[in-house]
Amino acid sequence: MSAVKTSASGGASSTGGSALIGRLVQIAILVAIDLFAAFLVINLARDGIWEFAIFLALVTLFVNVIQFRKELFPIRWISPALVLMGVMVIYPILYTVYVSLTNYSDGNFLTKTQVINQVSRERFLPEGGAVFDYVAYRNEAGEFALLLTNSAGEAFFARVGAPLEAVKPDAEGKFADTIDGFTVLPRSERFSALATLSALSFGPEDQPLQISSGKARALQPRFIYDSAKDSFTDRLDGKVYFADDTIGFFVNVADYEAALAADPNTRISSFYLATPTFAQGAGYRVLVGANNFTRFFTSPAIRGPLLQIFTWTVTFALVSVFSTFALGLLIALLLQADTPAKRVFRTLLIVPYAIPALIAVSTWRGMLNPNMGVIGSTLSDILGYQIPVFSDATWAKVAILLINLWLGYPYFMLVCSGALAAIPSDMYEAAQVDGANTLQQFRFLTLPLLLVSVGPLLIASFTFNFNNFVIIEAFNKGLPPILDTPTAAGQTDILISYAFRLAFGSGRGADFGLASAITIVIFAIVAGITMLQFRFTRQWEETSKNV
Amino acid sequence: MLRKVLGLVTLVAVVLGTFGSAFAQSELVIWADDTRAPVLEELGKQFEAEFGVAVKVQQLGFGDIRDQFKTAAPAGEGPDIIIGAHDWLGELTQSGLLEPLVLDEAFLANFAPAALQGFTFNSTLYGLPYATENVAFLYNPELVETTPATWDEVFALSQMLVKEGKSKYGFVRQEGDPYHFFPIQTAFGGYVFGFDEDGNYNPEDLGVDSEGSIAALTWWENFVKAGLQPQAVDYDVMHNLFEAGDAAMIVTGPWALDRIRKSGVPYVVSPTFPEGAEGVAGKPFLGVQGFMVSSFSKNKELAVAFLTEFVASEDIEVTIKVGDKEMMGYPMYLLGLSRPSAYLPALQANEDPDFVAYGLAGTEALPMPAIPQMGAVWSSWGNAVTAVTQGTETAADAFTKAAEQIRTQLAGN
Amino acid sequence: MSSMSLAQNSKRKRGEGNYAQQKLFWKVVRVLVLTFFVFFALFPAVWVLSASFNPSQSMSSQTLIPRNVTSVDQLLVNYRVLFETPRYPFFRWVLNSVIVASITSVLTVMITALSAYSFSRFRFFGRQGLMLFILLVQVFPNLLAMVAIFLMLQQIGQYLPFLGLNTQGGLILVYVGGGMGINIWLMKGFFDSVPRDIDESAQVDGATHWQTYWLLIFPLVRPILIVVGILSFVGTFNEFVLARVLLRDINSWTLMVGLWGFVSDNFGQNWGIFAAGSVIGALPTLLVYLFFQDQIVGGLTQGAVKG
Repeated sequence: MSAVKTSASGGASSTGGSALIGRLVQIAILVAIDLFAAFLVINLARDGIWEFAIFLALVTLFVNVIQFRKELFPIRWISPALVLMGVMVIYPILYTVYVSLTNYSDGNFLTKTQVINQVSRERFLPEGGAVFDYVAYRNEAGEFALLLTNSAGEAFFARVGAPLEAVKPDAEGKFADTIDGFTVLPRSERFSALATLSALSFGPEDQPLQISSGKARALQPRFIYDSAKDSFTDRLDGKVYFADDTIGFFVNVADYEAALAADPNTRISSFYLATPTFAQGAGYRVLVGANNFTRFFTSPAIRGPLLQIFTWTVTFALVSVFSTFALGLLIALLLQADTPAKRVFRTLLIVPYAIPALIAVSTWRGMLNPNMGVIGSTLSDILGYQIPVFSDATWAKVAILLINLWLGYPYFMLVCSGALAAIPSDMYEAAQVDGANTLQQFRFLTLPLLLVSVGPLLIASFTFNFNNFVIIEAFNKGLPPILDTPTAAGQTDILISYAFRLAFGSGRGADFGLASAITIVIFAIVAGITMLQFRFTRQWEETSKNV
Repeated sequence: MLRKVLGLVTLVAVVLGTFGSAFAQSELVIWADDTRAPVLEELGKQFEAEFGVAVKVQQLGFGDIRDQFKTAAPAGEGPDIIIGAHDWLGELTQSGLLEPLVLDEAFLANFAPAALQGFTFNSTLYGLPYATENVAFLYNPELVETTPATWDEVFALSQMLVKEGKSKYGFVRQEGDPYHFFPIQTAFGGYVFGFDEDGNYNPEDLGVDSEGSIAALTWWENFVKAGLQPQAVDYDVMHNLFEAGDAAMIVTGPWALDRIRKSGVPYVVSPTFPEGAEGVAGKPFLGVQGFMVSSFSKNKELAVAFLTEFVASEDIEVTIKVGDKEMMGYPMYLLGLSRPSAYLPALQANEDPDFVAYGLAGTEALPMPAIPQMGAVWSSWGNAVTAVTQGTETAADAFTKAAEQIRTQLAGN
Repeated sequence: MSSMSLAQNSKRKRGEGNYAQQKLFWKVVRVLVLTFFVFFALFPAVWVLSASFNPSQSMSSQTLIPRNVTSVDQLLVNYRVLFETPRYPFFRWVLNSVIVASITSVLTVMITALSAYSFSRFRFFGRQGLMLFILLVQVFPNLLAMVAIFLMLQQIGQYLPFLGLNTQGGLILVYVGGGMGINIWLMKGFFDSVPRDIDESAQVDGATHWQTYWLLIFPLVRPILIVVGILSFVGTFNEFVLARVLLRDINSWTLMVGLWGFVSDNFGQNWGIFAAGSVIGALPTLLVYLFFQDQIVGGLTQGAVKG
């Protein structure tokens, strides 16, 4: 009795010591994390990247709070995962939600500031404006000057902020290599000096010359930005362009109204109109509310093949999950039993997992080709007719499911092997004592226990296949085609491949706003299905407690 | 205690934070695909040795260049120069990502007018072309004597070859690819988009379901029905058939010359296309490849100078090693080796008869539309050709339905 | 009733004599079935292997033994392109991939095991909700997340260059963050199957949660740690969609980004080279698996469970 007590108290005291050390280590790590985060947040905030700065600050705050609240102890264990997921998964999701509410697409990629800068930078050569060929000179102080010549045979020497000085060539028509302490720039430095040179203005300040496209030109800014009115004035024709923040363009109101009068369907909110004559500069990103969602739900696309595609997507995902799981489990069971050469089998059977999906699908595609492929041509020789793997919807679907089975079963074989090994062998002994046969053991012991750990993977595999863009694209790009629909679609298209064709191949260029909206709709569908499955998972959890 | 620690943390972070700024360098970053990157890398080395400006070539897949440029350029992570195709212009200029090029007439006179036209959008030049590409009609001279004059002759010849057992197939097409179908479509008077008075593509005039287009597809439908086109032919299968001598005639581009030559099959690149029923020769699409300068480049002047005074100049001859071969020449000549060059002196210097033939086949070529509406056309158009090839639709139905799909999409919000 | 007991009786009687025979029969069946599956698994794989020795770069016309090959030189042409093209630092790519995949999988295992332990052993407010949340976040279709991740790494990289674009640090961070959710679930299910008596008896002895976790449970669940590790290794090793956006310099590419370059061109697809690279790329995965396979199927350490 006393011996036990001693050991217990000894254990307690050593625990107390290590607890203190543990606490110190914990604080040290926390300080390091805070330092790191504060550094990032301050920098991000300084550069005006507020969204990310605030998000990071919140994440850091969360990490600190859980360290000092005792009842949040279990969360501490989860916090590394949560933080990483927060930054790498949740932030991108929030970003996608944000993009879905904007007009982010071809034609509207830039921010308003970027567009203002770009338009302000635009310059023009006024009537009679000078254009010169130039040779660059530099003095010992590193200042630059230009020797200018034009087609009229005149020559000038131009410094920064000083009037032009006429110079004359020598008898052979050559100019001096050194003028007023400036030496001609050696050939080897001609290009490296360009960055500096092109930023300078030479000659008098009211009519500066700038280097542009290999010449010195007396360029003038073409647009004057008025920040109070948020508008540009074109100095060439005096037209005024006001920022229209509902569509993200600088628009000339009179022209816009004229265009609208001519065609009431006129829009510039999308890329559709290649040359909006009433707008100036590129478009910029603005919030457009639920516009993208409305567009998706009211577009002809939704009345088109969506139901057919949705059915196939669910079928594809379900069949893929169950076929890969069944085969993977079967192989794992066979390998668990008393079988010779297990190691060899196990190694050979994992091989498909080690081969990149892209080449695997291409190989299958080649093998199934009815003319030249080894499987396709052999089958057509045996059957006497060619199986239309690429032109018949049903056969194409069968082929895709077969390929996906090949690609996917090793994953479940691996997982099931691990999970089977984890089932304590005394449970089987107990079951055998109770007189259960092999099938009963599997049905009432192995499967329920297995589903506890593998169940969530079935859900994950379902969602993975639901969005398995790669195999569909690589096999046949969603073909064979469906033509009786308002939009281009294929018989083997799944929701995500169809959606991306809508967002990126519909004649408006890449439409990230629409694509994000569609992504969120798909997410809602998949999340709904997952929640449903989650209820089963909870049942599995209960089951495992009872075992 | 805790407050003190956190206060210190903030202080240190502020101090560290002030060190975050990057500084600009004299360096050019170029994005190129795997065929151009090796040449550009060598050119870059030469340029750096000569002028002390580093040229960094980053290799991306051809399509990736365009897609990633859209994200990277506005974020300040983009390249100074990209290599790309002229039909990207619509989307890239519309988004304000490309810098207009103002170049001398005399300098531009060295370039093929059609190529420059390709890189002109809204009357502004946005790219410096280096190569053009178009498909041509190829045949195996052991099976076919000369280019058939009409597509009906191609049909008859194919039937004869198969009947006489000279080859497994006659003319073979890539199943659904509309790009390779275009020379047939135009031969029968079909088109995709018509032109307006200024000679620009007119998105209002869609020609996918025009009489000529349907006539072309009907010809193809009959060809398929006659059992002359094998199933499931993609680019790879088509070439394998041709290279094995199993197919006598194909339509393909200069990018395939390498593999055809390696296979050792006898071939002739025809400088003309067969004519359609109305006596019109088929016209392929013309694609132009070139350099474009990013409007977000911090070294635009340098980028332009690199292109005009180094790449497109005949001052410096460079030596490059591609694979085992060592080649010497002016940069533009080296860039135009696997396609007809857009730089006239290089085009004239290239005596390779195949490239000459490709150039001739492309003299009447129509530039691939750079207007954004083209994006709505490709899938529907291709699907229609595929459906007819697979025998699931008639020609008239397929093109009518495809045109409906395209119109719906173009009218959509 | 009686017939059933009769049947059982006779079965038992006959079973005594035939037991060994029956066992052998099932053994043979198992081997035959497995052999069939091996055929299914290896047939395309052998085709990939054969493509890697085929100079024709085509995936559809191949024969098992490459045609028109007259010399060893031709046979190895794809491998030579990989090994000997000075522009392509092939072994660097392999090394990059191995580094990224190894670090990712170790970090993933460490971090997910911590979370899984907490979910399995503690009962706290919001536990179910949090688990559901982790699962839901995981099912978000992230084809579009690339743009966000690109911008984020670019922003981080301005201040912490070792985690920015074009760095393996940044890529690892993205992989670890993205691959966590489902592995937490997998491990949690596994932790659940470890009897709680083990923890409880340890805690009666005065061990802290950390000691219980680190010294007892962690070693006990080694098989699933290895499974998760391998899953994460292979997943990372074969990923190229994100990597090709985030890695720009040819020297920092991973193997899959490099190989993608050979087939991303519409017309010049070099499938033979891709195949050769895939064959070599498959080796690390197979080696990892070979090395760990006994551990996976080894099960829980028997003594510990019973103790």
